[in-house]
Amino acid sequence: MPPVYNWQLGRQMDYRYPNGGAQRQFAAVFNTNRCIACQTCTMACKSTWTFSPGQELMWWNNVETKPYGGFPRHWDVKILDLQEKANPGAQVWNATKKDPKTAPYGTFEGKTIFETADGVNQVVTGYIPTEDEWKGPNLHEDTATAFSKNGVSLPEHSGWFFYLQRICNHCTYPACLAACPRNAIYKRPEDGIVLIDQNRCRGYRKCTEACPYKKSMYRPSTRTSEKCIGCYPRVEGTDPLTEGLPMETRCMTACIGKIRLQGLVQVGADGQWLEDRQNPLYYLVHVAKVALPLYPQFGTQPNVYYIPPRWVPRDYLRQMFGPGVDDAIAAYTAPSRETLAVLQLFRATQQIVFSYKVEPGPKSGEVKVGNQVRELFNDTVVGFDSKNREIVRVSVDEPVYERPAKVTMNTI
Amino acid sequence: MYKRLPRVRRRWQLGLGAAAALLAAAGLQFFDANPATSQSLFLTAYSAGSDPGLDPADGVWKNAVPVQVPLTAQAGTYAAGGGSIPTVSAKALHYQGKLYVRVEWADTTKDESTTKVENFSDAVAVEFPAKSAASVPALCMGQADAGVNIWQWRADSQAGIKDPVDVYAGALVDMYPTKDTLFYTARAAGNPYANPDQGPVQTLVSQTFGTLTIANVQDVRGQGAWNNGNWAVVFTRSYAGADPSQAAFADGATTDMAFAVWNGSEGDRNGRKSVSAFVRLTISGTDLGAGGGDNTLAIALAVALLGGTVVIGAGLAISGYREKAAR
Ligand code: SF4
Ligand code: SF4
Repeated sequence: MPPVYNWQLGRQMDYRYPNGGAQRQFAAVFNTNRCIACQTCTMACKSTWTFSPGQELMWWNNVETKPYGGFPRHWDVKILDLQEKANPGAQVWNATKKDPKTAPYGTFEGKTIFETADGVNQVVTGYIPTEDEWKGPNLHEDTATAFSKNGVSLPEHSGWFFYLQRICNHCTYPACLAACPRNAIYKRPEDGIVLIDQNRCRGYRKCTEACPYKKSMYRPSTRTSEKCIGCYPRVEGTDPLTEGLPMETRCMTACIGKIRLQGLVQVGADGQWLEDRQNPLYYLVHVAKVALPLYPQFGTQPNVYYIPPRWVPRDYLRQMFGPGVDDAIAAYTAPSRETLAVLQLFRATQQIVFSYKVEPGPKSGEVKVGNQVRELFNDTVVGFDSKNREIVRVSVDEPVYERPAKVTMNTI
Repeated sequence: MYKRLPRVRRRWQLGLGAAAALLAAAGLQFFDANPATSQSLFLTAYSAGSDPGLDPADGVWKNAVPVQVPLTAQAGTYAAGGGSIPTVSAKALHYQGKLYVRVEWADTTKDESTTKVENFSDAVAVEFPAKSAASVPALCMGQADAGVNIWQWRADSQAGIKDPVDVYAGALVDMYPTKDTLFYTARAAGNPYANPDQGPVQTLVSQTFGTLTIANVQDVRGQGAWNNGNWAVVFTRSYAGADPSQAAFADGATTDMAFAVWNGSEGDRNGRKSVSAFVRLTISGTDLGAGGGDNTLAIALAVALLGGTVVIGAGLAISGYREKAAR
């Protein structure tokens, strides 16, 4: 296996194929702090792509409740367990071996799912969730860890749960792709979207077994596996609705909690993001470091990044998002002027924002965060499309309109 | 388990090795077989007195001589597991320009549903060199200048591809906005594997790992039956292949042939299977008599080969033992 560089792990790792495929990469930031689990994203995906016979148990987009929930049931606990058994006591990070660019979270000193596999029965460590485990998503999972009699307070709630929104991560080193013996899975160079060729697939379910996020799903009515397609016609701008401009996916644009922002980032031959300071995703992930990959230790270099929930015990979050959690929560709890401005871009437009600029505004107030008094400024963030044309303009202060006391019919 | 080789090879051991090679070569000469193409198993397709049809239980098979073909875990470019089926019993006949192959093996579980994601199907395949093969193809999926033609029969295909709602009587579904084929994506993409009308057998061509592709013309028919812990499957096709990427046969001709069995309940699929080495298939002009045709020559040779191998093996084992004891 050729060595590839995984910047999320701060080290090289073994992967079945050499890198160098994608020049642009589909990526997204999900703000878990804002999600209300309304499942509008889930239904947007389902009603677009998976409404036919054989797709009943398929939720390419799902929102599950942590720590008890999971779709398929207990997927993450099961993989973590397999990994722990394969490398007992050694699945650890060295958070001090850090580099702002090449190892922003430290160095993972354990083994990835590619490195624990035996190479005979599996190229990637994994398992096939049974049909039963795909059934009844969300049942009984909206449960806090404890009943907190005296209420809860930050920084960590004593009884807690949170929502985790999941789609395919269109991984830089896809486990599904590495496991497919038929070369039926490919990663597109133009946007890094990972697709299963429905003509070549013969339903071996090696991808279902290998994907640690369990986002490759089996469809019995065609005996093939299917997965999130990153709504590629929208991302390409070939969907008629897009009028030729790259547009965010269905699940992103449907989000009424405004927790999602998706776009395309530029990547180099070694899989690292190329510096693109004014790309909002680049800013959030590499500059503000407020958004983190989900279970980076699996080793696939996933491309959906999460702003971790502020109220959740840190050891749980570190297991899920790596050692960058404390800095990310700090950066979100007391955001810089720029971070606050960029966060306004979430769900401000359906078009993909390729770059932004911040126009400074006047001081508009003060807010107490912990023991600190912070000043707020009504800055304006401006988003630009792929052709550098302005597509959106949002201010930090939400404009307020006062209705006249006497309203006519049908006024909102 | 690996046997430890003796550290020092004595001259008489080398002699035994040479004798083994000679014996094998003699056998190959005897059958006028090219050592590059031939292995030590021979299957002869005799001319059948009547059409064997697709029924594995048809009486005409009774007299055909089976060859027991040993299977192992597949170990090609990369190992992929499998190996749960140790042997298949293979028979062959021909009738009016058609080749019939019958494969039987023991499998206590009848795995014919793939509705559940965790369930895999029982299956069997026979493999032949493509007509166009310029050399002996690699057993595992062939190579660029020598492709292979694979006929695969699958239990789940024979049982039929079903929508889950038709399998689970109590399934509750609000509604399907449409049941148009367009939305059975793999079907709409022209994937024959997802086509419910394909039937139980597919004929495929391959020119190395990862290139297995369905053949343009689907002209192989077959049928399987499971009885008392045994699968029996019959394949048939006319001698002439639809194109050079497929196998071709002729009266009096010989070709290579290999077998693979998938055991669904063992999670077998793709490379995870039990595979044989190449077997030499002869399409004999002799009629299938009551005694199963004249196979005495082959049997005599096989016995001789076996005898020789046993002697050589015993010699090597004793010497190895002596060396071990001396150490
Ligand atoms: S999340 Fe799973 S299905 Fe998606 S690219 Fe990664 S390994 Fe493949
Ligand atoms: S990106 Fe598109 S296909 Fe993927 S989960 Fe979201 S809506 Fe579904």
